[in-house]
Amino acid sequence: MSAQPARSEVTESSSSLRQFWHSGPAGWNRALTRARVLVPFFLAALAVPLVLQYVEDNSSWIGAQYWTLILATCAMYACLAVALNLVVGYAGLLNLGFIAFFGIGSYAYALVASDQIHQHYPLWAAVLVVSIVTLAFALLVGVPALRLRGDYLAIVTLAFGLIMRDVVLELDRPPVLAGHQVGPDGLNITGGTNGIHQVQPFNLPTSLPLLGPVPHYRMYYWIFVGFLALCIYFMLRWRSTRTGRAWVAIRDDELAARAMGVNTFKYRLLAFATSAVMAGIVGMINAAQIFNAFPSPNFDVQTTVMVFIMVILGGLGSLPGAILGAIAFTVPPFLLQQFVFYKYLVISIVLIAVMVFRPEGLLGTVSIRPRKTMGGTLELLTAESAVEASELPAVTDTEVADVEAAAGAIVEDPEWKL
Amino acid sequence: MSGGAAVLEIRGLTRRFGGLTAVDNFDVDVREGEIVSLVGPNGAGKTTVFNLISGVLRPTAGSVLLLGRELVRLPAHRITHQGVARTFQNIRVFPQLTVRENILLGTHHWTRSGMLGSVTFWPGTVRAERAAQAEVHTAIDLFRERLEARLEDPAFSLSYANRRRTEIARALAARPKLLLLDEPAAGMNPYERIEMAGLIRSMRDRGLTILLIEHHMPLVMEISDRVVVMDHGVKIAEGLPKEVHSNPRVVEAYLGRRAATA
Repeated sequence: MSAQPARSEVTESSSSLRQFWHSGPAGWNRALTRARVLVPFFLAALAVPLVLQYVEDNSSWIGAQYWTLILATCAMYACLAVALNLVVGYAGLLNLGFIAFFGIGSYAYALVASDQIHQHYPLWAAVLVVSIVTLAFALLVGVPALRLRGDYLAIVTLAFGLIMRDVVLELDRPPVLAGHQVGPDGLNITGGTNGIHQVQPFNLPTSLPLLGPVPHYRMYYWIFVGFLALCIYFMLRWRSTRTGRAWVAIRDDELAARAMGVNTFKYRLLAFATSAVMAGIVGMINAAQIFNAFPSPNFDVQTTVMVFIMVILGGLGSLPGAILGAIAFTVPPFLLQQFVFYKYLVISIVLIAVMVFRPEGLLGTVSIRPRKTMGGTLELLTAESAVEASELPAVTDTEVADVEAAAGAIVEDPEWKL
Repeated sequence: MSGGAAVLEIRGLTRRFGGLTAVDNFDVDVREGEIVSLVGPNGAGKTTVFNLISGVLRPTAGSVLLLGRELVRLPAHRITHQGVARTFQNIRVFPQLTVRENILLGTHHWTRSGMLGSVTFWPGTVRAERAAQAEVHTAIDLFRERLEARLEDPAFSLSYANRRRTEIARALAARPKLLLLDEPAAGMNPYERIEMAGLIRSMRDRGLTILLIEHHMPLVMEISDRVVVMDHGVKIAEGLPKEVHSNPRVVEAYLGRRAATA
């Protein structure tokens, strides 16, 4: 908006790139979420491992597998960032136990796809089990917690994440409830600190037409990128229809949303549960990819913080921002391996710089601040809070009198000069 | 003007905040197609009455009937569904949503479109979205030259008057039977105030029933069919604009006893 005069000077030479730059974060998001940007982006992302393989085959460079694995991790974090963006960026709910749903998803899959409890479900049944289990946990926390306001939701979800971690660590032996052992001796559900091993991967073809044999690491990269594309599609559709509008409305002004007929509890619960199920499915893909379900990092608060940083760095409510944040936090550490000791120093400096110079994140339009009034958990401030001056031309008093007389609408009654 | 059936009947409405009785045994009827103004000094309890009708607050006692249906104890979003839409004294548009999305929020309660339908382009969902988009055009009919060019702009970038217009359009999109307007002309310049008066009248002419809180007396006198005066939570006068403004109790409430007797 402030770039308006500058733009008029360069009208002749204004390239579309310059226009893009001047459109501001809201414009960037709109431009970057168009189908003609997203479809080529995802096609290119799918082609990356093939290009890496081609380069490896035709040069002395080796690292196609290594870099595909890194990019798979990157895509996994992008999925998590997009799911967290739904609950924090759209619905404005501070879910600090987010990563527990990732962990629950990975354990739920591991239990029905390993010798831990001797169950080996087909893929579709496993997806169903993982969805139902994460949904059940999301409702268990969400139904009571989403009735709470403000920081209490953050506290309850944080506690939930910590409790789930302890539950998983303790469930390598039969639980003891009120002095009574539940289940037979030797009952081992989660494998305790060791986690669950020898989880079977998805039963997928190892060779595809045209592409030939597909190695495990490349297949899972494609699965993550495919799931990311699916999530992005869902988000864009929801955001442009009734459900997504209701989420953002609740975030912006809960009271007004209720006054417009939005059942705020229902929509917060929908956002919370949907994001949890998405994280659960990402956890399931992760367990199948690495053949394991571990208590750490799957239940670490640190991982939640990591995903939060990605979302906030990229910009709350921005899908391209979430992907950008995931890339920025997973790829550079591998590029700069020799500086690995300085990793957290660099991350901290970058984060502080972003918070000082762009508190709304790279592509975001809102920034976080604790809410003062009633409502959700976060008050998301507009970056450009300045109100435009009234568009009406200034009117002098005589003009006003003329206008009022001409319109004949309001006649000043001296008795009513209150 | 008083021929229509009662749209809103409030009986014995009371709300206490601790020791303070903000609204005390308040009765009012609003008949179909009427513009009724609620006036009174600051702190008289006018906005509290609005909050009690729209379900933001629960009354301590009393009943609110909309077309014969009890609204008390219904949650706020159900009350909207029954046919009450409101605007707020301190404008509450959704700043991050565009003007179009703000108005679409008004259609939320009468459209059915879910998350699954949305991603699968389910015919029912597509139809609901189309109906909602069409409603935006109906709702901004009265503000066309002001809002049409700004439809895709985020609401935080609007001027004060345009935020008011957006808020009213959002309430209209809810297709209410009763519209509650809380100081619609507050902070507007005289020119915009005249426009607002015409607007409120044309909304009534389109069949809406309007309950209005307003401080600007000439506006109230001009557009109201009836005026209800409140002070300290109690109704002190009710009647035609002419009757009310010569009522000694009303003058006393505004100016104090000495001025009234002098």
